[in-house]
Amino acid sequence: MPAFTITPVEKGILRCHHTGPFSHEDVRPLAGFLHDYRGKLLIDLRGSRIEEFARNIREFQPMMPTTAIFGAKIDPVLLKIPESYYTHEVCFFETEEEALTWLRNQ
Amino acid sequence: METQMETQFAMNTFVKETGGYVASQLEACTRCGICAEACHFYQATSNPEFAPVWKIELLKRAYEQRFTLTGKAKLALGIDKPITDADLHHFSKIVYEACTMCNKCSMVCPMGIQLGPLIHEVRTAFSEACVVPDDLMAAVNKQVKEGSPLGVTDDVYADRMEWVADEWEVELPMDVKGADTLVVFSSIEVMKFPENIAAIAKILHAAGEKWTLSQKGREVVNFGFYEGSPERTKLFISRVFDAAKELGVKKIVVTECGHAYDALRWTSYNIMDVPEGIEITHIVGLIGEYVRSGKIKLKEGAYNNGTLTFHDACKIQRRGGHIQEPREILNIIALESFKEMTPNREESICCGGGGGVIAIKEADPIRYAAFELKIDQMMKVGAKMVVMGCSNCRLQFTDCVQHFNLDVKVAGLSQMVADALEE
Repeated sequence: MPAFTITPVEKGILRCHHTGPFSHEDVRPLAGFLHDYRGKLLIDLRGSRIEEFARNIREFQPMMPTTAIFGAKIDPVLLKIPESYYTHEVCFFETEEEALTWLRNQ
Repeated sequence: METQMETQFAMNTFVKETGGYVASQLEACTRCGICAEACHFYQATSNPEFAPVWKIELLKRAYEQRFTLTGKAKLALGIDKPITDADLHHFSKIVYEACTMCNKCSMVCPMGIQLGPLIHEVRTAFSEACVVPDDLMAAVNKQVKEGSPLGVTDDVYADRMEWVADEWEVELPMDVKGADTLVVFSSIEVMKFPENIAAIAKILHAAGEKWTLSQKGREVVNFGFYEGSPERTKLFISRVFDAAKELGVKKIVVTECGHAYDALRWTSYNIMDVPEGIEITHIVGLIGEYVRSGKIKLKEGAYNNGTLTFHDACKIQRRGGHIQEPREILNIIALESFKEMTPNREESICCGGGGGVIAIKEADPIRYAAFELKIDQMMKVGAKMVVMGCSNCRLQFTDCVQHFNLDVKVAGLSQMVADALEE
């Protein structure tokens, strides 16, 4: 079973739903997807366990487009990377509605 | 009083830099304006202030007013105005935000004036006068304090390398004494394009290279060079040279970064003692050498689907001369799909993001305007993919492709080579 699925939410926003532990076969295509994707991202962590995504969400963050994350408690330290001209905003929200509202306004 | 100090610092630097060589270059200019047509910022905006010759106006004025009789007389009679702080601030925007130091202007100058290096002298004076854009200085200060303008500290670097090694299943040798080659990545690759690290590791292993990374010499980007500060340029280069000396390597390989290659390969010789017996090369040149010598074999036609083009990076192709290598590679892996943009090779148009411009938020409108020239070039060949050997260019392309909503894939050359390696 893949670690994530990608489905459209609406024009310009895709949902990346985390569905299980990451393998190498998941990480490499996800890196490729993040390089090629031009829109905004909604990361859905509902049903995920933190140990399954913590490392990868931290490592992928510098590569993410404007992104809203919701669905699981995340230590804010995980999302803290050095601010720089190449980064996009990545924010955590309690609910999907909050996340989408923010994303639509970006 | 504070503002007078700025001008004084800049003037002192202008005067200090104006030796016979600079004077002869300034005297040789006939104000023909051909350099303007070569500048992508001028081409994109038609703003006469973006003409390269105008970017050295303050250096020229300082030279004339200090060293020529006519200049002194004009100043005394009030025909010419003395340089003011307002001038410094005005020109700071022009030389940092509307110049990528691509040096194409020097190529077209009929008098052979090296405009790029002269504009760099202006940046040096502005650095002394502390009139550098805030965003650029923030990155410079970060590199001074943390070792990297993008915040790649010791811990971030170690963590990132471990992740790449684990997930891409590659060996990343660290601080191996006795290795032949030290490979130094740019923090753009470390943070934004980590698969480049895995790709280059795969290529080096396939070629049988005895190589190493260095925790100490982990950053090849040089924001001191963008700023125009010889001291900070030297400081950042010395971190790499010190690591190379400690490890006893014979070669330093600069990965996909253009300005870093210029700083390390050429500028270093003008500002500091360069360790003897260490060759400095660029990954594009090294891969080309591997292919020519048969150390690596590439799958023919691996990228034959969809038109693909190559963007020549100013510091790697025009300055560095690695023009043939990428073409030889693409003529193997993308024989049927590779099409050249026009102009190309040493006459290529800059992406618009180099020289620190991409780091300055206020420069975004003209950076995007300059990129429209690249869009025209890509559209004319119907490119579905654009390849390059510079991660700073790649960052600019990636950002602009999103900004203009273009259906073009942006790729690094090393990654394509790694994916096309014959097992």
